[in-house]
Amino acid sequence: MLNKYECLKKLSEKRTDQIVVTTMSVSMPWADLSDGPLDFAHVESAMGHAADFALGLAIAQPNRRVIVINGDGSTLMSLGTLVTIAQRPAPNLSMIITENGTYEVTGNQPVPGAGSIDYEQICRGAGIRQVCTIDNQSDFDSQLENHFEGLGPKIFIWKIEQSNEPVPKPSLPIRDRAHRLRSALTS
Amino acid sequence: MLSAQKIITTLENNNVTHVVGVPDNGSKILFEQLWEHPRIEVILTSREGEAYGLASGLYLGGAVPLVLIQNTGFFEAGDAFRGTAYNMGLPIVMLVGYRGYKSMKPGASRVDTAATFFEPTLKAWNIPYSSMHSDEDICQISEAFTLAEKTSLPSAVLMIPETA
Repeated sequence: MLNKYECLKKLSEKRTDQIVVTTMSVSMPWADLSDGPLDFAHVESAMGHAADFALGLAIAQPNRRVIVINGDGSTLMSLGTLVTIAQRPAPNLSMIITENGTYEVTGNQPVPGAGSIDYEQICRGAGIRQVCTIDNQSDFDSQLENHFEGLGPKIFIWKIEQSNEPVPKPSLPIRDRAHRLRSALTS
Repeated sequence: MLSAQKIITTLENNNVTHVVGVPDNGSKILFEQLWEHPRIEVILTSREGEAYGLASGLYLGGAVPLVLIQNTGFFEAGDAFRGTAYNMGLPIVMLVGYRGYKSMKPGASRVDTAATFFEPTLKAWNIPYSSMHSDEDICQISEAFTLAEKTSLPSAVLMIPETA
């Protein structure tokens, strides 16, 4: 199993000018590493819709990599988005599904199908060709560069240990975060 | 009937770059003509809620999206609309097909709740809207863009007859 905090730290160390969209239990740990205009915490928002939001960013900004870090619970809330991503592929989109089997920020209640769902099979069945499941640090290190490079859409399933992040509370209201991102991308 | 071509011309005049949504009977011809358009890209979503997330990302990335869905899908999209376009304060215009409009006329054989729930829901969700009954009303789309920009919030135009 992977340690979420170690993985995010390594991801942040490699990150340069990519847009990073985070959700739920990843948002605040990521904000501790990076909280600039290109970091968008998709919280106080619509759970399940970070991936389609990131797809829109990737289509509008074809020369910039967009990395969205989604939870397994968030992914389950809009599985059809995987098909949407496949039928309108954005080569610059990388999606990470952090699989811990729980809704972490509400107290680690199990997600439906926890432990029995094969997210890689679901993603491939939706039509996404580049899917990689990572469950140990050695494989993570060897795949890290691939999160940033090559033609997507790519999906990386991180099998992570459970932890105890509280409900995320970003430093700025969502409206301010959104307009800060737009200014960074369009000005 | 609403002229799909006139609607498309209006979208061109408002610099729309992407139309995001799910087709229905009323928008069928509009979608078919948009698919042939050389500059406006149509992106289909699996469910209407995705359309708001996707359109919000497009807008923040510098594009000019339009959401095109039916009122049934609009209901499904409630949390996505609230949590993305509305809470982010984005001037996204939506064209929404008005399924069941005729069922609200006196003497109709059955009432379609897709229609009776629709305008009360728009009001409850604080969405300004206007309606297109004929081609003369297509100018409402440009007015919706103007209003959305002015308020930095989404606005809606309801499509009552089918497009042709």
